[in-house]
Order: sequence, then structure tokens, then C-alpha cells
Amino acid sequence: MSNRIDPLGEAGLEFYSKVSASISHEIKNSLAVINESAGYLEDVTLMAKKGMNLDMDRLQSLAGTMLKQVQRTNTIIKNMNRLAHSLDDPASQVDLNALIELMINLSERTTVTRGFKVSAAFSDTALTITTHPFFLENLIWLILDFAMNVTGDAKTIELLPVKAESGARISFTGLEKLTASEFNDFQTERVRLMLAALNCTLQTDENKGIITINLPETITQPVQ
Amino acid sequence: MRLLLVDDEEEFVATLAERLSLRSIEADWVTSAKDAEKMIETTHYDLVLLDVKMPKVGGRELKKIIEKKLPGIKTIYLTGHGSEEDYQTGSAEAEYYLMKPININDLIEKINNALGKQGG
Repeated sequence: MSNRIDPLGEAGLEFYSKVSASISHEIKNSLAVINESAGYLEDVTLMAKKGMNLDMDRLQSLAGTMLKQVQRTNTIIKNMNRLAHSLDDPASQVDLNALIELMINLSERTTVTRGFKVSAAFSDTALTITTHPFFLENLIWLILDFAMNVTGDAKTIELLPVKAESGARISFTGLEKLTASEFNDFQTERVRLMLAALNCTLQTDENKGIITINLPETITQPVQ
Repeated sequence: MRLLLVDDEEEFVATLAERLSLRSIEADWVTSAKDAEKMIETTHYDLVLLDVKMPKVGGRELKKIIEKKLPGIKTIYLTGHGSEEDYQTGSAEAEYYLMKPININDLIEKINNALGKQGG
């Protein structure tokens, strides 16, 4: 029996674990806001019973805060659910705009904590391809993680999904410090396996600071 | 006793400061390390409550900056993030390492303990 861990499986677990940790952090933050708001209501209710006047505007503002946090948590959980379901099928139709938006949201805590702003210029038309959504999400996560080490001083990364003759392209721009050597180091075994699983290629333009994923319209050999 | 609360979750930190104020504990609040540095230039604080994970400059880095200007200041870390390693490191660096959401009575007990240590 081999003790070797499957690099693709390991990469996927690492990605999923990091996203889960980030999501739990976000939910805890949201709960902390709700907890303090509810605590404040409890405080002023007790004081009101002793004769203190209630500030109705403040109460209304607290209600708004709590509703906002419930919506925030609901969105976080919806994103978590979408990520979980991206492992349902080895190949499925994917709207690249939606998938990129999901990845920007899921990575937001990580990127913002490191002082980066990640955005996307979404295509006006639907960009649908048939791919393995989880591997593509994982690949985007890895590229974003790498990209944060090679951006310019503006610390901004923009993702540009576009339709291509053979399928679609996703470009990561703003990587002003990108070098061929660093890009070679990035292409570890797990990245190469991921590219093979997605039937896609990576290309770079160091002068313009761009990494591009070239995706086929349909993957030919879905990973089981 | 005067505290400075630093957390990028504005609604959390503002409401916590209000609740401490209702308990006669003076607490100022800011949402970034940059603003915290400005506050300590003009005000003396006995204790700082720092969120560990904040954009750009996190609580652990901010603690080092604050300590240079206010040597001996007491610190309590606060986080929603909770790996065992984070907990061990954070607990060793600060007086206390608390996980969100917090119980305000527990927090006040920890603040009093931390400042009690200072007097002892």
C-alpha cells in the first residue's frame, strides 16, 4: 500500500479547510455583532424598568443592525452551500461570472486581511462552459493566493472572464511583479494535475502582469 | 480606567463600547490600527482590546506598535478565528485571548483581572 497522498485530493482538502475556517470566522463576527446588539437591548430594557427613558431611534438602529447581520450570515451560508455542491458532479455547466463572484466572496476575508482588493469585470453576456466546478474554484483560489505575492503597490487584482473561440478565458490582472521564475515555481505538481483535470492551460504576460486560464468549452475527461 | 477597543467590525465595537459605558467603564473605539495609533498619541489607556485579524495591520502587530508608545499596557486579544496554534500564541502574548461572541461579564472580569495584575 502506498503512503503517498493524492496531490489533487490534498489540494482540494486544503482549499476546503481554509475556506471553512474563513467562513466560520465571518459567521463568528456576525454573531458577535448580534450578541452585542441583543445585549444592549437587554441592558436598556433593564434600565427602562427602573425608569430610564428609551431612545427609540437607537432601538430602531439596533433592529436594523441585527437584520443586516442575519442577511450577511445568510449570504455566507449560501456561498458555503454553493461551494459544497460544486463537488456533486465531475462535470457540470457553469456560469463563469457566478463562479468568479463566488470565489471573490469566499476569499474576501483572506484577501482583505492581507490588504488586497480583488474585483472582477464581469461579461455582460452569460459565460457558460462545462467543467469541474470544484477544481476550477480551487485553481482560482491558488492563483489568487500566488497573485497576492506578485501584485504592484496598489495591491489590487482584477479578474476578467471573457468568451474565447475554444471556450473561455479568465485573466488575473495587476500582477506587476510577476516573473517567469516565480510563475514556474507556482506550477507545482498539484497545479499541473489540476490543469490536466480541467483540460486547461495557463499563460502569462510578465510585461503586462497577467496570468490567464484558458478553459475549454467542455472538459473531455471528467475526473471521477 | 480607560480602554481602547480596536476591531474592524464597527457595529460590534461601537455597541460593546456603549455597553461598557453603561457599566461606567470608559472605552473609546476605532476600526483600524492606523486610527488606534492616532488615539494613543493623545490619550492614555490602561488596556487595549485588540481584534487579532484586521485588514492590513492585525492585532498582534498593533500590540507591538502600541507597546513601544505605552510600555506595560495590558492587552486582551479578541478573535473569531480559533486555531489551537493561534490560541497558544495569543494567550502567551496577551493577558487574555477571547473568542467571539463574548459575554460582557466575562470580559469585565478579565479586564479587572488584567488591571489587577498591573497593580500587584
